[in-house]
Amino acid sequence: MIRYLRCLPIVPLMFSAGCGGDSTAVDGPAVALLTSGPVSDAGWHAGAYEGLQMIGDSLGVHISHQQTRTPADFDEAFISYAESGYGLIFGHGFEYQDAASRAGEAYPDVTFVVSSGSRPSANVVPIIFGLHEASYLAGMAAGAITASGIVGMVGGVEIPSAKGTFIAFEAGVKAMREDATVLETFIGSWDDVSAAKEAAAAQLRQGADALIHNVDAASFGFFQAVREAREGGRMAWAFGMNRDQNDVAPDVIAGSAVINIPQIFVQTARAWQDGTLEGPLYTGLATGAVDFVPNPAQPGAVPPMVLVRIEEARRLIIEEKIDVPSIDFVEPAAGDPVAAGDPPTC
Amino acid sequence: MARRGLRTPVPDVAALSSFLVSAVGLAVPLALAALGETVSQRAGVINIGLEGSVIWGALGGALGSLAGGGYAGLLAGALAGGAAALVFAVFAVRLNTDQIITGTAVTIGSLGFTGALYQSRFGVTGVALELETLPAWELPLLSRIPVVGPALFDQALTAYLVYVMVPLLAWLLFRTRWGLALRAVGESPEAAHAAGVPVVRTRMLAAVFAGLMAGLAGAHLSLVHTGTFAENMSAGKGFIAIAVVVLGRWRPAGVLAAALFFGGAEALQFALQAFDADLPYPLFLALPYVLSLAALAGWFGRSRAPEGLALPWPRRGH
Repeated sequence: MIRYLRCLPIVPLMFSAGCGGDSTAVDGPAVALLTSGPVSDAGWHAGAYEGLQMIGDSLGVHISHQQTRTPADFDEAFISYAESGYGLIFGHGFEYQDAASRAGEAYPDVTFVVSSGSRPSANVVPIIFGLHEASYLAGMAAGAITASGIVGMVGGVEIPSAKGTFIAFEAGVKAMREDATVLETFIGSWDDVSAAKEAAAAQLRQGADALIHNVDAASFGFFQAVREAREGGRMAWAFGMNRDQNDVAPDVIAGSAVINIPQIFVQTARAWQDGTLEGPLYTGLATGAVDFVPNPAQPGAVPPMVLVRIEEARRLIIEEKIDVPSIDFVEPAAGDPVAAGDPPTC
Repeated sequence: MARRGLRTPVPDVAALSSFLVSAVGLAVPLALAALGETVSQRAGVINIGLEGSVIWGALGGALGSLAGGGYAGLLAGALAGGAAALVFAVFAVRLNTDQIITGTAVTIGSLGFTGALYQSRFGVTGVALELETLPAWELPLLSRIPVVGPALFDQALTAYLVYVMVPLLAWLLFRTRWGLALRAVGESPEAAHAAGVPVVRTRMLAAVFAGLMAGLAGAHLSLVHTGTFAENMSAGKGFIAIAVVVLGRWRPAGVLAAALFFGGAEALQFALQAFDADLPYPLFLALPYVLSLAALAGWFGRSRAPEGLALPWPRRGH
């Protein structure tokens, strides 16, 4: 028994070897994207992939995408792209921050962009999407349409950017319905479809009838749980997150809290070409980068009166008259060395 | 009626019953994959590529169901899982490559291939497939048993396969000459060979059987449990199934109990989180693995892996 257990530590190493980078050198400006999950999630990663394609189309630069599997991969992938001549490298997720900081020191001429990153430096640029503002508006919609007064949230891993969207969502719910109960479940994975389905089903059984998620490909199971609750004779609504998911499950989605990732990525790449890119980059409702988008296929799902109040809240947030709660995870810019032994995130 | 004070401690029967439904739903794929792996490990082959067979089963199930309906999907899933295991077996058993490394390669390759296939068929950025789920068959009388009835006896075909497989495999492994020969291959391939048992063929068959079962587990994920497919949706269930085999101490009934325990632990932590119990959820997810380690350490009585597990068997002069 022990004999083969000894071999298990090599497994993560093999995973990194399994998806080697594009290490052939490129000519001219080149932009790369790293995602830590499949881009076929019709959500967070898919948006980044679309952004990369748009950069290629509108800026005419060479592009490349790679899916990393383990934290050990993150460094490897950054280095391999930097060595091959890529000038701008996106790490799409909070989990890339530590590796990007290390790579940023090793390759001062390369710009590293970290989606939902936390530590800016001269050539490491976190983008803070401000999705919590859109999530707040989605929460208002959920608080208005819940009949039971119980609202659910199903998340992947409790990282600050994900947790922040839930805090804001909860505040939005309570703004419309003060006595609402808000349930929160994390499934410990972004892709585990059956876990997301069971987590949502457990919340539905608890009486929740308006649910939002913040997972990746696992959202397919989340939507399925809402669909099955309806087949069982209960009315319930789901909300999409990260990308306009209204067409992913048009029958059960009331609306989506959307980041326009392609638009932000293209703007970022333009600024990089012009030499004006500086971080951290804050986007939000004010820049039009995020929004709550009601599902056009379900016109009555969010009543017109509620949409009016959401519109008003949108204006107040932009005018900074509503302070949407969230988690501020951006650390002050400094040349401080990356702390050794940071816990791996993935 | 006074509503002050604590929640009533009387268990809510409906809530308990639906908790059990989700526990069994989560346990079935683990049980299917682990029962197959039990046979494989009893023959001395540890197939880390089980995870690869599960994801092939999920995709095979999805594609098969789109082409020819749910049961065609189930069959396609099993065959796809078996095919992945056949690749593993050709290398690890016939060519005697290292079982752990070969199995890992099969898993990585499978996750990559299934992803590429899915993206080429359904688009790079993915779609939420809506697959028709297999209907549940409500067994008369049995499904009326209070609390556990609906959970155990109002299930799709995959759950009933588990119930049939447990006694069948226990009988085959421990009551037949065929089972004796298979276990001999796992304990001491030299002795088995000397007694005239075809070691390589037995190991190949056992490994492919594990792949077929893991493929069924994957098809259960896409066709029974979720009605959709996503890349990586196996989410480590093949690896967990290997832990289930250990916790079940290489016996079908024990493996079923261990799978139900894992499924129950997962369902419980979702129920607790939905109950707003402020628990650190990773701790709960870790519990079944801690118990598996305890089982490995022999805290639950005698438990021993087959002596020849993961060891190559050199075919001399052949």
